[in-house]
Amino acid sequence: MNIIRNYIYQGKNLFRDGTFLFWAMVYPIILAFFFNLAFSSMMNVNFDDIQVGIEENNYIFPILEEIEFINIHKITQDQVDEKLFNEEIDAFVDSDLHLTVKKSGIRQTIIKEVVEQIKQTVKLNRPIDGTEFSVNYVAGKNQESNSVIIIFYSLIAMVSTYGVFAGIETASLMQANLSNLGLRINATPLKKQNFLIAGVIVSLLLNLLANTGLLLFINYVLKIHLFTNIAYSLIFIILGNLLGVILGIFIGVSNKKSPNVKTAIAISLTLFLSFLSGMMGPWIKAIIEKYAPFLNRINPISIITNNLYRINLLGNTKSLGEGIAVLLIYSMVLLIGSYVFLRRKSYDSI
Amino acid sequence: MTVFKYFIKIGLKNKWVIIMYIAIFFVMTLLNSTDAMKREEAFEETRLNIGIIDKSNSELSSSLKDYLKEKNNIVATKEDEEYIKEQIFLEIADAVIIIPEDFTERVIEKEEAIIIYKDDRKPHSIQIENQINKFLAFANITYQNGQFALGDVKEALKENTQVHVLSKSGFFENSSIETWFRYYFNFTGYVILAVYIAIIGIVMSDFRDERIDNRRKISSKKLLEFNKEIYLGQLTLAIAVTSVFIIASILLMGRYIGHIYYIKYLINLMVFSLSILCLTFLINNITRNKHVITTLSTVLSLGSSFISGVMVPQELLGEKVLLVAKFFPVYYFVRINDAVINSLSEVAFELFMQVLFAVAFLLLGLMFSKKAQRI
Repeated sequence: MNIIRNYIYQGKNLFRDGTFLFWAMVYPIILAFFFNLAFSSMMNVNFDDIQVGIEENNYIFPILEEIEFINIHKITQDQVDEKLFNEEIDAFVDSDLHLTVKKSGIRQTIIKEVVEQIKQTVKLNRPIDGTEFSVNYVAGKNQESNSVIIIFYSLIAMVSTYGVFAGIETASLMQANLSNLGLRINATPLKKQNFLIAGVIVSLLLNLLANTGLLLFINYVLKIHLFTNIAYSLIFIILGNLLGVILGIFIGVSNKKSPNVKTAIAISLTLFLSFLSGMMGPWIKAIIEKYAPFLNRINPISIITNNLYRINLLGNTKSLGEGIAVLLIYSMVLLIGSYVFLRRKSYDSI
Repeated sequence: MTVFKYFIKIGLKNKWVIIMYIAIFFVMTLLNSTDAMKREEAFEETRLNIGIIDKSNSELSSSLKDYLKEKNNIVATKEDEEYIKEQIFLEIADAVIIIPEDFTERVIEKEEAIIIYKDDRKPHSIQIENQINKFLAFANITYQNGQFALGDVKEALKENTQVHVLSKSGFFENSSIETWFRYYFNFTGYVILAVYIAIIGIVMSDFRDERIDNRRKISSKKLLEFNKEIYLGQLTLAIAVTSVFIIASILLMGRYIGHIYYIKYLINLMVFSLSILCLTFLINNITRNKHVITTLSTVLSLGSSFISGVMVPQELLGEKVLLVAKFFPVYYFVRINDAVINSLSEVAFELFMQVLFAVAFLLLGLMFSKKAQRI
């Protein structure tokens, strides 16, 4: 009975703190909304034909016309500047096969490559019958790229650890030297152990509830479909929650700083780890992948992020076991650490 | 100056958290701007990032590799389909090619001779296919008596075409130093927002304690006097934070300051800091709830930075997004950092807007403070 009463009181305690609810539930939704606003235009790649301007009497006109990814605009020399500035054409080819462009970029590079090929063929000076260039030597394997979407996975990974705040709260409730309530609770015959377990479970449930809210929002309101394999994804989200709550308890019991300071530590830590896992731009993740790949394998937020996109978008479950193991080890270590700080504390007076 | 003195005292008491905050965000700024030098849009040919796995090791495959290396950047990869697919997915590589053992024979037979992983929707995939097909077609054209004339192919491929650029794309100077400063200061804008709200919030929370606040209310200290000293305290803390980032930029890139219009970044950052300081003052007068303040520190900073072009350049954001962003001072701050100008008068409007935000925030803050004075 005791334990159930513990659950109820702790749950009420956290729930009544309206700001906790705001922090855990509304805040991720606002962030996801902003992220979507900023990145929605970057997430859809569509390749339209390259627009090339050329004079009708140019001798390469028929050659360019044959190429499927090029769309030809017949224009005259005096229209060039205007068409380029309005971005109606990506490049203009003149009779000497020189290009005029407004800016450089992949589309311009492709045209350059095509025009150069014509020149180079002449330079090569061998008899050709035209069939040589229709041979396809490459067997393509398609893999859609979408690095921007990892921002959302990273956000989910970050908020899955936001049980950290409930954890800090639980810790302060339990410690006689941290809060008045803790003082009173310590004077009662309540078992600390039960109180701790109840705290972990309640924090976990509340944060999971908050996470569910975010996932529903992303899926149904923003209409970004992130999950194809719910079961495996759930494992990582739950592990993130567990780690978060235990981390919170650890931060809570390991020092006597004020709650403000503890929250600040929790925020900056989770934010920094999320930054490294690509939450503020996938390029950061790419640099780390290049220079210090092991960081991506030990950073808990990265582990969750990586596994979420691998499971859901790449159908790759290779790193699943390793990820689960590392997260569990972190949780265990922090739990044991917290226990060391918590055990055998009694006061004659405080 | 009792209030000011205690503000500083509380600040010093919390010095480790403040230092930790600044340190973490500073590391983020550095990482972000280091990468920026590479993210710069090249004005030359676009080089793709490609991975190559060569199992053939023939004369033909090595000269193909040489050609591709000349045109592209090579990234390390390994022969593992899942690894390769992840590289493509994360856009670490635009394409990864695998040259099989029987490569040369396949080329001679005009069969598919190379496996290539790529994103078909992107123009990059056409580019890499073109390069490979061209090279192999040329090689085959020169194939005679069981020999490729790869020297001739190489010679022919040197032939290039002139590209005339109509005008620079306007807003950006094309130097990596300029890019570094741009990204560094843009990101500093995000940091200023996050750090000011968070650490000033921590210091202020002691003042906002209800009992202390009530005692203060019945004291002989005038409200305006109190606010003045509080503001002075916040200003001191703010100057300390901003100075760290200014001094770091000088220490790191000081030797290049002569090459760029540094004063633009400096003045912009100061004006921006002022407007964010006023915003912080406002927030601390609206709420005394620490959860709300920490939330605002993260949401406001991340949210407005994302849509104002701190993380992603403004030109990549949609027009609607920028329309929303105009309601935040960060937008104007980023615009000035991004602008290529010769004198500050060219960005007078953006500076003015930031000052306007500062005044508005400050007045609102004073108003709320006055309101809270009533019991």
